[in-house]
Amino acid sequence: MLIPIFALCMAALYVTLPARKVAGQNADAEIPAQVYDPYPHGILPSDLNAEIGRVRRELRVLEGRALERWHGLQPPILTGQPPTLQNTGTEAIETLGELMNYDQNISPNKNRACSFCHMPYAAFSGPIPSVNLTMIAYPGTVHFRAGKRTAQRYTYSPFFPVLQYNQVQGLFFGGNFWDSRSTGYLLRNPDAEQAQHPPVDTGEMGFPDTGCIAFRLSQVEYRPLFEQVWGRGSFDIKFPPETERICDTPGGAATLGRSATPIPLTPEDRTRANIVFDRWGQSIDAYEQSLQVSAFSSKFDAFLKGSDKLTADETAGLKLFDGKGNCNSCHLDGRGTTLKRGQTDTGAAATVNPLFTCFGSANEGLPLNPRDAIYYQTTPDSYGFTANPYGFGYRDLGLGAFLRSSFGSAPNPNASWTQYAPSTDGQMQVSSARNVAMTPPQCPTTEAPGPYFQKEFFHNGYIKSLKQLVHFYNTRDKYKYNVTSGHCPAGTTEKVDCWPMPEVRNNIDMTTGNLGLTDKEEDQIVAFLVTLTDGYTRPYPNRDTFTGTCMTGGSSKTQGNESLIPTPKLPACAAAICAVQPAPNPTVP
Amino acid sequence: MPMQRLVLELAMAAAVGGLFHLVPAPAQVSPTTEKAAHVRITKGPEIERADPDFAIVRWTSNNPGGSPEHYGVVHYGTNPTKLDQTAKSPIRINPAHSYTVFRVRLEGLKPATTYYYKVDAMETNGNSDRMPSPVREFTTPR
Repeated sequence: MLIPIFALCMAALYVTLPARKVAGQNADAEIPAQVYDPYPHGILPSDLNAEIGRVRRELRVLEGRALERWHGLQPPILTGQPPTLQNTGTEAIETLGELMNYDQNISPNKNRACSFCHMPYAAFSGPIPSVNLTMIAYPGTVHFRAGKRTAQRYTYSPFFPVLQYNQVQGLFFGGNFWDSRSTGYLLRNPDAEQAQHPPVDTGEMGFPDTGCIAFRLSQVEYRPLFEQVWGRGSFDIKFPPETERICDTPGGAATLGRSATPIPLTPEDRTRANIVFDRWGQSIDAYEQSLQVSAFSSKFDAFLKGSDKLTADETAGLKLFDGKGNCNSCHLDGRGTTLKRGQTDTGAAATVNPLFTCFGSANEGLPLNPRDAIYYQTTPDSYGFTANPYGFGYRDLGLGAFLRSSFGSAPNPNASWTQYAPSTDGQMQVSSARNVAMTPPQCPTTEAPGPYFQKEFFHNGYIKSLKQLVHFYNTRDKYKYNVTSGHCPAGTTEKVDCWPMPEVRNNIDMTTGNLGLTDKEEDQIVAFLVTLTDGYTRPYPNRDTFTGTCMTGGSSKTQGNESLIPTPKLPACAAAICAVQPAPNPTVP
Repeated sequence: MPMQRLVLELAMAAAVGGLFHLVPAPAQVSPTTEKAAHVRITKGPEIERADPDFAIVRWTSNNPGGSPEHYGVVHYGTNPTKLDQTAKSPIRINPAHSYTVFRVRLEGLKPATTYYYKVDAMETNGNSDRMPSPVREFTTPR
């Protein structure tokens, strides 16, 4: 019964696809007035402009569907004490968040939406195969500023708690982003605060002032829905005439000076604009937590309910995930890890829905990826902004950098945490393993020879297939070489029997690294990971919107190796990162 | 056209129907588990690999319990009576496993040098697992 419904849904969604696609085509053409291209030849993928245009057209399809959903929404009834939007209030805020998520007006050049880097068919992670293969960070509103890390999946991010330090355990857990810098300290919701960062991140959507979000939202088609959910007076803000010019200017522009609030709002209007900014984050969080995004509709969910069985390889993979692979020591599957010592896993259904994360952080010892766009943005763009003056002196210390409020992260709002920076250097958030394998339907796998959809894994995208991901955990220390990427010795193959040295050697997690898994056992864990993909028990919304091209050929073991480039001789870690107290111990070279 | 509309309505009904499923409760954070009364090494300690400047020490114990993250700790030096250097590496305890494998990275070693070492473990909050260990030795290659 599930399959026919799925087929009907997919057919229906395709019915709406072509009209929107054509309507958006001209508007989405990428003809930037000025191009910032500090990249050596070959760093930017050759199809970048075309792919940017493709994703922007897909965004318009998604925006169109969200508008249809809004127009089909029964108006909620505001009633009760405290007043509640009865009946359809939940769907109203989820739809509002959905509209915001696909809205390209929320960027100075009106060319980027949140989902530009987070499309549904990739489980709301990076949608451009060639970017995933090369520069790993996505190009922002200014051509071609880019960030420094891979786009994390939205799915299940709303379930991460507010960042906290557990004194008894001596561990941080919670927050959003790879470095947990979205703590939730004010809104008490790290996912909502996460949604507030990219619109004012210079490498992403790039507004110079959070007030621009309120300004642009006051002009959008779905403003009535915002006012229905959050109140009619939400946009009673007197924006001065220069607001439009300021919001058309990307963050970091020299003409705006160093102020974080260049729009000259009165204190009262600034407070109102801040409230709209909070509502932005909270609305997007509602969408991300809804079953539109965090669907709990995987084969594994069906297995837990007893309504489906895993194949022999998937079952073997699950046993390895919990046993020899020890994956569930951090990617909690809600089964074995709820047992007391001495008890055995009976395979009974989970008492909670497992999220396949421990909300913690770990340094897995990934090699530095010299293709990361951040290393090349060392000269000013036409706005006078330089993203990374340190070039290859940049090191990604992850959570440690955030706790120090150092370069490349964000201010830490809790000074009592700073002392723990040295014990968290190199640590990145433990992502939910759910949906790690999600791809568009027409490219049904992440793995070569495919047809496959090229994804990128871990914070710096060094890993290009799930086979490589499991092989890395399995053999990182067995095939460790004192080289950087692109310099594996003759007779070895990078990612097969040569793993370059970690970018950050501090605090490397040693739970994995030499697991003794066979080649077949690695494949079985990959097979199990695929069962965590939503859309099995019911269609995953909007997964059908990919209009790009699948890749074929090669082997998952060496997938993407043709794109490896030699890491240059690395200068010392920049003082703005590695000399900030309390400094890394031992020092980071 | 009517057929298209029917298909569309069915799809919308399925999509909207999905909205009213209960969102399941989220999963748990890593638990702190009961601490073992005694922690004993059941295998090792031994050298997993030794390079001229690097080594990994590995051993297995019964599951010490406690905080979900522990440090494996190696005290080492070139004098067996003076193990004055310390290396530690984090690992995650798996509550469902009866045993725990500790592995610790030793960086900055000298080539062709004999090192002596013994091991210990502790929770990340600093509480020792009180794991008795023999002193062992290894020599780094040239």
